[in-house]
Amino acid sequence: MGQTIFYILISTVICVIYFTLVDHFLMDMQGLDYWYLFRK
Amino acid sequence: MGRITRNKFLSIVALSAMVGLLLLPILVSIPSLVGAQEAPAGAPADAAKKDGEQKVEKGRDVYYKTEGIVVGAPAPKTTDSPKDYPRYNFESRVLLWFANQQHLYYGSFVLAVPIFCMIIEFMGVVTKDKALAKKYDQLAYDFIKISLTAYSLTAILGGILIFTFLTLYPAFFSYLSSIFRPVMHIYALMFVAESGTLYIYYYGWDKMKEGLLKWLHLSMSVILNVIGTVLMFLANSWIGFMMSPAGVDEQGRYLGNIWHVIHTALWNPLNLHRILGNMAFGGGVVAAYAAYRFLSAKTDEDRAHYDWMGYIAMAIGVAFLIPLPFAGYWLMREVYAYRQQMGITLMGGLLAWLFIIQATMIGILFLSSNYYLWQALGRMRGAEKYFKYVKYLVFILVCGYLVFITPHTMVMTPAELKAMGGQQHPVLGNYGVMSAKNGGINVIITTTVLSFIWYMRGNKESTVSWAKFGNIFMGTFFFWAYFNIIWLAIYGYYIPANVRVGLSVPQVATTLSCLFFMTALNGFMMKGAKQLGPIEWGKISVRSQYALIMLATAFTWMMGLMGYIRSSVRLFWHVNEIMRDNSPWAYTHTVGFAANMISFNVLFFWISILFVFWLGTLGVKKIPVEAKAPVPGTAPQPVGGH
Repeated sequence: MGQTIFYILISTVICVIYFTLVDHFLMDMQGLDYWYLFRK
Repeated sequence: MGRITRNKFLSIVALSAMVGLLLLPILVSIPSLVGAQEAPAGAPADAAKKDGEQKVEKGRDVYYKTEGIVVGAPAPKTTDSPKDYPRYNFESRVLLWFANQQHLYYGSFVLAVPIFCMIIEFMGVVTKDKALAKKYDQLAYDFIKISLTAYSLTAILGGILIFTFLTLYPAFFSYLSSIFRPVMHIYALMFVAESGTLYIYYYGWDKMKEGLLKWLHLSMSVILNVIGTVLMFLANSWIGFMMSPAGVDEQGRYLGNIWHVIHTALWNPLNLHRILGNMAFGGGVVAAYAAYRFLSAKTDEDRAHYDWMGYIAMAIGVAFLIPLPFAGYWLMREVYAYRQQMGITLMGGLLAWLFIIQATMIGILFLSSNYYLWQALGRMRGAEKYFKYVKYLVFILVCGYLVFITPHTMVMTPAELKAMGGQQHPVLGNYGVMSAKNGGINVIITTTVLSFIWYMRGNKESTVSWAKFGNIFMGTFFFWAYFNIIWLAIYGYYIPANVRVGLSVPQVATTLSCLFFMTALNGFMMKGAKQLGPIEWGKISVRSQYALIMLATAFTWMMGLMGYIRSSVRLFWHVNEIMRDNSPWAYTHTVGFAANMISFNVLFFWISILFVFWLGTLGVKKIPVEAKAPVPGTAPQPVGGH
């Protein structure tokens, strides 16, 4: 059980970082600001 | 041995000579093409030398904005008269619509099927399992056999189309052919080369079944497909020119640069969209053929074979269906970039309701594909473990689908309008915007990817040491992918339109990440996996076969619909902003009439293709192989069978 939770945590960290990078850089490549709402 | 080698050598020489002869007319025509570009440019110069008073007239390209010497006549200004628009007491546009659509259906089919053959024959050549290799070979042969009869019909329909143009729209056709004159003969010669290569490819199957000759045969399919694709690109350049003309001045006079005429603003997006569309359509039609043969099969052996054939065709079709919406987005983006008004007419104005119908059809395509895959799990022992989760996928798919098909505004009576407080529904209207729809379609596609992955691992259990982490990672990845897609869809409501429009790119990237990374991860995990049970080909519900027929019908209907949308966006222009359509039929039909017309075209195509299928069953002769390949039957299929 402990191992499963550890695997889920590791996977979640990897996935969240990956998708955040995808969102940020693909918007940046179009000259757009992904963080527009948060910067306001 | 020496004799065989000599025979092989002679065969190669003969084949090379034949292919060379087929390509010779095209090679010969290339200098004349260059000449065609140069001659008109030089001709006025010569004339100017002879006659000092005559000046060289220059014009500005309407799209490229470059200057060029005028070498063509202006676009004719037609009038509503029998001279420009001869008629048969019937709406000429409807006749042309019918001829065009039927030619397109068959043309798409015969261009797509040889690509399938190439892929399947290649799989047969490279696979190490002899029995499976023969099965692939038989399948590729079955495919090309179907397309051969359809090929003759395509040519006949092409002839009918040209006669329809010449008879009903002579002024327009004359103008269009004057613009494309430098490449018209290339198109015709390519068609001859395509026919020749196809017949050699088909009739040479038996003689070229082994060793080097087999590779040579396979390479012929590459040549066949290259020719077919170039043919399609040339045909696309005509519709690209009609929608977004280039290479002519504002009066429609040709400026001597044929590349500008071909390479219009929409040519490349159209090319990509049509290749993917043809493949998806071809896959659907072949899958429907297999379903028809499955349903009418008398023996388990036949049922197993056609079940397998249907699966392969469906898999290829869906593989091309998945990127199709993205190619569609690119095309629309280019349409907006070319003329914003054209984009608005398509998606926010006169034709917007047709896009709601299109969304409905796309949803049906994905729902049918998923349904087939869930049914297909039933033919695998060990796949039962996924059954209990299917209902969750149905829920996700239906949610995505409902958002995807929600219109922005409703067509209503004044009383309904008053009762609702406006054209937009206070709650559902929020789903009628692109931000939500992008989320909807990406959720649908991601779910289809997930169904595929489940199917691919249905009867297997990973034996790699990191299997547990792999499974958890895959599940987590899909969860966060869904989360990201939905998050971006919601986020779009809170930011300005110019920023929001860019969110579709990371949404698509998220879906594609699932497709590529998770398919690859699954492949690594299933390498050397334990088989829980065999795939029992032929032991699948009859409903699944109807799903394949549904898939093919939806493809056909959607192709008809999108063709109509693309064509009618020109409104009252033959060639957008260059040559006006002054016929009495230069108006946009009602949605109802268009839908009826599309349905009629679909019905006609399916009746005629059923006739082609029936012809295919006459004189059934399987490819002669020395040892008959074992039928899929209940035998366990190797990994390649998936």
